[in-house]
Amino acid sequence: MGNEYILGIFTLAGINLMTVLGLSLLTGFTGLFSFGHAGFMAIGGYATALMTLNFHWPFIPSLMVGGLAAALVSAVLGKVTLKLKGDYFCIATLGFGEAVRLILDNVQTFGGARGWPGIPHYTNFWNVLGINIVAIIILANLIHSRHGRNMIAVREEELASQIVGINVFKYKMISLVISAAYAGIAGGMMGHYMTFLQPKMFSLVKSTELTIIVIFGGLGSISGSVLGALVLTSLPEILRAFSSWRLVFYGLAVIFIMISRPEGLMGGYELTPSSMKRLYRNIVSKRSKAVHSAGGDK
Amino acid sequence: MTQFFQQLINGISIGSVYALMAVGYSLVYSIMNFSNFAHGGVIMFGAYFGFFFLTLLRFPFPLAFLSAAICSAILALIIERVAYKPLRERKAPFLYFIISAMGASIFLENLVIAIPAIGPTFRTYPEIFNKQPIKIGELAMGKLDIAMFLISAICLIVLIYIIDHTKIGKAIQATSYNIKASALMGVNTDFILVTIFLMGGFLAGIAGVLFGMKYTVYPQIGIITNKSFIAAVFGGLGSLPGAVIGSVLLGIIETFTAGYFSSQYRDLIAFVLLITVLVVRPMGLMGKVTEDKA
Amino acid sequence: MKKKVLALLMVCMMIVSVGLAGCSSKTETAAPAETASPADETVKVGWMGSLTGDQAVWGQCELNTVKMLFEEINGKGGVLGKKLEVIGYDTKGDPQEAVNVAKRLTTQDKVCAILGPNASGNAIPIAPVLEEAKVPDIATVATNPKVTVLDGKVKPYNFRVCFIDPYQGAVAAGYAADILKAKSAAVLYDVGDDYSQGLTEFFEEFFVKKGGTIVAREGFKTGDVDFRPQLSKIKAANPEVIFMPYFFKEVALSANQARELGIDAILMGGDGWPSEQLISMAKDAVEGSFFVNHLDYEDPEVQDFKTRYKAKYGKDVELNGYLVHDAVLMFVDGMTRAGEANGEKIAQALETTDIKGITGRIKISKETHNPEGKDAAILKIVDGKYVFQQKFAAE
Repeated sequence: MGNEYILGIFTLAGINLMTVLGLSLLTGFTGLFSFGHAGFMAIGGYATALMTLNFHWPFIPSLMVGGLAAALVSAVLGKVTLKLKGDYFCIATLGFGEAVRLILDNVQTFGGARGWPGIPHYTNFWNVLGINIVAIIILANLIHSRHGRNMIAVREEELASQIVGINVFKYKMISLVISAAYAGIAGGMMGHYMTFLQPKMFSLVKSTELTIIVIFGGLGSISGSVLGALVLTSLPEILRAFSSWRLVFYGLAVIFIMISRPEGLMGGYELTPSSMKRLYRNIVSKRSKAVHSAGGDK
Repeated sequence: MTQFFQQLINGISIGSVYALMAVGYSLVYSIMNFSNFAHGGVIMFGAYFGFFFLTLLRFPFPLAFLSAAICSAILALIIERVAYKPLRERKAPFLYFIISAMGASIFLENLVIAIPAIGPTFRTYPEIFNKQPIKIGELAMGKLDIAMFLISAICLIVLIYIIDHTKIGKAIQATSYNIKASALMGVNTDFILVTIFLMGGFLAGIAGVLFGMKYTVYPQIGIITNKSFIAAVFGGLGSLPGAVIGSVLLGIIETFTAGYFSSQYRDLIAFVLLITVLVVRPMGLMGKVTEDKA
Repeated sequence: MKKKVLALLMVCMMIVSVGLAGCSSKTETAAPAETASPADETVKVGWMGSLTGDQAVWGQCELNTVKMLFEEINGKGGVLGKKLEVIGYDTKGDPQEAVNVAKRLTTQDKVCAILGPNASGNAIPIAPVLEEAKVPDIATVATNPKVTVLDGKVKPYNFRVCFIDPYQGAVAAGYAADILKAKSAAVLYDVGDDYSQGLTEFFEEFFVKKGGTIVAREGFKTGDVDFRPQLSKIKAANPEVIFMPYFFKEVALSANQARELGIDAILMGGDGWPSEQLISMAKDAVEGSFFVNHLDYEDPEVQDFKTRYKAKYGKDVELNGYLVHDAVLMFVDGMTRAGEANGEKIAQALETTDIKGITGRIKISKETHNPEGKDAAILKIVDGKYVFQQKFAAE
């Protein structure tokens, strides 16, 4: 019973992780920066709730629909905006996220800004854990495939990868669509965890938080994303005792990690059995550990 | 017709507030190629500095105005030294700067809320211009709006003069064109960065005080600075005239969508328009043409 | 290198502390509260609300009020001979955090009741947590009907001390149509805010029912500070009354801007209006305006509390302070009648609450868990003061 609270935090961390995994592919492996993933979460959340509440579908197929809905929207968005570069793409996604929220605020079918209560409580720690494990396996396989390497190439040198024949647009698109699908599923889990959806939950701040988690965990590292989601979701809870000061410390912690470890917690590293062995050897022969370049350009 | 002109006045007045804020984003972007999200926090502090100089220390208005701008400039510099310099030295990619900047902005906003003497309540500036608007027929123009427009215009003209006609301005231009090459040519790039952040902070202070006079002071001023960031991107990041034009245009577009289409969907329409412009002109209206990698 | 190690160390510490938090909760469950000697036993009561974020003004005032009242109650010997202790947590106004807080309060801190939150969007998602833990919650100004009743069923552990949106909207519309004799009204509202949307919907519904017309309906987005585009449009529609159902900062800004544009319609609003700052910023602009409130500030019943708060904190009470005051009264009454600090029993007792609070008589309805027939007070702003007009009940 007393573990309910801890389990709750881990469930939330797991829901955040789902989006973060997708974002990790987009930002960490393909080098695109999004401020609108809360928008995809919202689409997934509302679509999933629509399936379970109005069509009485079971939870997992509904989640799939949620993910699919977000993926479809992202494909349309990507078609238009993926040609934009850097901050311009970032603004486009920001605009998208805010637009989704604005539309949901206005659409009274789903309760508008007043929210949508009464969603069944399907999400629990265990199914979040299961879904995350599946998501991680899919992602890891993708990254270690030819496609994954192409994405990293796009991140490192867009121009050069185009010259060697990588279809840059296609890989950006794949990455965006998968990340949106992940976010959509996360949104669905969120709605069925909170039993309530409200456009306010998917604000710009939420998108920012998610991106902070990715960078905090380390670009180009799945285990970094896992660690980042765990640490940053629980950090505000740990700081709870400081009441009104806690976000001050949160901000400081973000800056501190960035300046002391700009490649993030796990930049470029993966925590696998073989890497643990390597780490051990590295500790023995210190220093030799070269700084792994995480998306390092310039 | 009256409504058309009234909305035009509204739009320009809103746009000129955005402009002063947007220029700060563009200044930093032109040299460092990243969007300084801590800028909103500095603007917010500028507003509080001005407020406390006026009410607690009872400075006369021009002095309070100037002191607030100077304090904000110093704050911007401190942020640069603490949150960006270590990253610069490690040659970290721009994403890390953005995250660090976000951290700084979260820190600043919540610091204000957490300090008991300031707190989350909003503060009202003492009245400096009376609220009686100037009337031309049916049209109404606030005295404060006119003053804000003029002050913004003067600041921006002085800034553009500095960039175009002084030695330091030339150095800034050179640095923005190519930071490594200008360092090789004997430009002290660190000094340029300091100047940029001081100038950006100074303008942020002015913007903050003006904003505070018009709309009160509160910790979440940053939400509005997002709009000015959008305006800066719209105009083309890294271009000062672009930031100004982008801001005024965004102000007018917003006003007219609210006035003639739908105020509920105002931002949606404004965003769609913005994205359309970006798709046609990916570098914004007057953006600096960067190499393939932004 | 050193810094890296330091950073990693920090992270490890965080992870460990999460784990520790988990363990500590276990030890708490191992030692049931009953074994403690009754003399020094304290009763833990939770509070949640915004201590950060844009609603922090109200949250901080609520928590201050609860602390002050508990001190006073403890000074008089507590409730059932037990001292009260408040455990207050910040929700940032975020529903996700509200759920975390509710879980923490119920399963870790083991409170017997929760006061707050103020936002409906935070009060709705905590319902399943409350039901599982069997801990009642008394919301302060969460005015959405769905906080206590969903799909016709009352939520067993959700209560509130305030009236609800439909009621407030009906009162405002009724007053505008019946007393002010207005035929046309315009509404300006915050599209992104649940409270504002709720009031707008019901104001429109009842105003039209009374034979009036809504000539303009304009929205803005949370965080906006300039309303001149919308107001210029409203001006062209020339309404007799402009209904402004949002919070005082935006009210002050939009009222000033309306007057600047030469709009002289009567302004009306809801319980988001009253604040010292509304007057300090927009004294002239809101002169002669009306708003619906939970109480009359000049009511002799209220004065004592007002001065006590001011003496202790040096600030004026915000509206939420009055409501949380009554939430405390309601809890104390419920616990006294329940006979022990047990969530389930207190919830049962709360269902039959009938007390006199400073915001009026609070008689909880078993079917809705709302205070029944709580009159709304109509206040008018005259010379920068809130002048009580009349109690007004919507039919």
